[in-house]
Amino acid sequence: MDQEIWKLILSHVSGENNEENEIRLKEWLVKDPVHQQQFEQACELWNDTAEIPEQAGWKDSFAQIKSEVIKPDSVKATEEKRLKVVFKRWIAAAAVLGGTILLGIFFQNRRPAVHAEAAEWITETSAAGQILKVLLPDSTEVWLNSGSRIRFPKNLQTSAIRNVQLTGEGFFKVKRDVRHPFIVKSLNLQTRVLGTSFNIKAWAKKQPEVTVMTGKVAVSRDSAGTQSAAIHLLPNQKAVYSRISGKLHKEDVEEAADANAWISGKLMFNQTPVQEVFEAIERRYQVRIQSEHDFKGCKLTASFKNIALAEVLQTLKITLDIHYAINKQTIYIKGGKCN
Amino acid sequence: MGNHSTAGSAEHHTPVYDLKTFEDLYRRMYPTLIKYAVYLVKDAEEAQLVLNDVFISIWKNKVQITEEKAYLFRSVKNAALTYLKNSRMQFRILEEEQIPLIPDQNADPSQAYQEKDRNRALYYLIDQLPERRRLVFYLYRIDGFSYKEIATLLDISVRTVEDHLVKGFQFLQEKVTRHEEEFR
Repeated sequence: MDQEIWKLILSHVSGENNEENEIRLKEWLVKDPVHQQQFEQACELWNDTAEIPEQAGWKDSFAQIKSEVIKPDSVKATEEKRLKVVFKRWIAAAAVLGGTILLGIFFQNRRPAVHAEAAEWITETSAAGQILKVLLPDSTEVWLNSGSRIRFPKNLQTSAIRNVQLTGEGFFKVKRDVRHPFIVKSLNLQTRVLGTSFNIKAWAKKQPEVTVMTGKVAVSRDSAGTQSAAIHLLPNQKAVYSRISGKLHKEDVEEAADANAWISGKLMFNQTPVQEVFEAIERRYQVRIQSEHDFKGCKLTASFKNIALAEVLQTLKITLDIHYAINKQTIYIKGGKCN
Repeated sequence: MGNHSTAGSAEHHTPVYDLKTFEDLYRRMYPTLIKYAVYLVKDAEEAQLVLNDVFISIWKNKVQITEEKAYLFRSVKNAALTYLKNSRMQFRILEEEQIPLIPDQNADPSQAYQEKDRNRALYYLIDQLPERRRLVFYLYRIDGFSYKEIATLLDISVRTVEDHLVKGFQFLQEKVTRHEEEFR
């Protein structure tokens, strides 16, 4: 693909909305079916480079200023200890969370908040195996699924726009305030509402989804801080972002309530890829699953209501025809076939 | 955390950032910022000192940052320029022609593909881009700066920024196409 085409594609995916470029891109696309393929490949490259893989390089570098930062200096010794304790606790928490929050983090802060004076942000994290309910300063209720986190400014209540950032999955009951829109940024989706309830699923490397239970929600694609045109959702509809086409589309949902069944500890799967089922189990029960078979293309429908891991595995054993062994926090899965 | 947190002295030092948010900021900004610092001072160790000085001063002076990204990149630029002036080194921006060719011989794609993770494999390739092209890529894709903002940060033209990005993506596409099977 030549450079001119790449320029057009970059203009397109970054949401520039340059009419002339869009027209030229369309002309190129219809010229040859191969072009469509190349275009999709380019979009995939764009999407898959949105996040930087977790790197350790910063740690050594930060260690050098850590001593400087924590140094007593004008600070009293107690404060120093306090900081150290805080720091240690954080390290411990980070270790517990393990890989769950690694990626996607870079997305969180791609743009500083609109309300510039809000420098102080609060982060709430739900550890693996835990579902956390958070009450935001504006009385909005948020349930965080295992291994998810939310960031919000301390002065959320007085902000002109109520901006929060979500990593992972969360169910929101937004306090109605028509004059102060509530905006959730998660992966590369922006969800804008006035007052309503909806579920956002935005696990790193997965197709993010927004499902609406009540009210009206506007979802747009957030690309490097630029918003695409929004699509509007009503109850029992969801927006799905396709990583391949880089586009958002609307789907009807049979039972929107299923989307937030997890808040009561239920695991609900409806034609869910088996790999995703494993990931959900890993988060819910704080385990790691290692499977010989990749179960590519396999789907599973099942619902588990607050039951022990052993029972869940037993069900999987029967439905997927697997054998499993548990060693500490790791579950090894052998065999298995698709139905 | 015991009695420490209730110590009355806490009010005397209420940083704008607590250590956790501060470290978080550092972690998020480091990948691109360090490359930018190296680009400016042309020395990895010095670059790290310059970058760390900026962060230390934010912490110590309790700087309240509203536009984190813009502020940090601007500060690193200023700190680098001061450093260069002090060390009487000549601050000279390399000419475009001096950019080394893509070090293809070092590229061992099999190593990258063994890590199944596509994102990791892609960044393995991106990290092989010439220094400046890689920096432009990071500034654009990771930090979300516009062509114009990048041009200002690097003192190059908007056209050059676009050129770097296009060539960067072309390089990726070429590699991925060539090794399509491993990438699936």
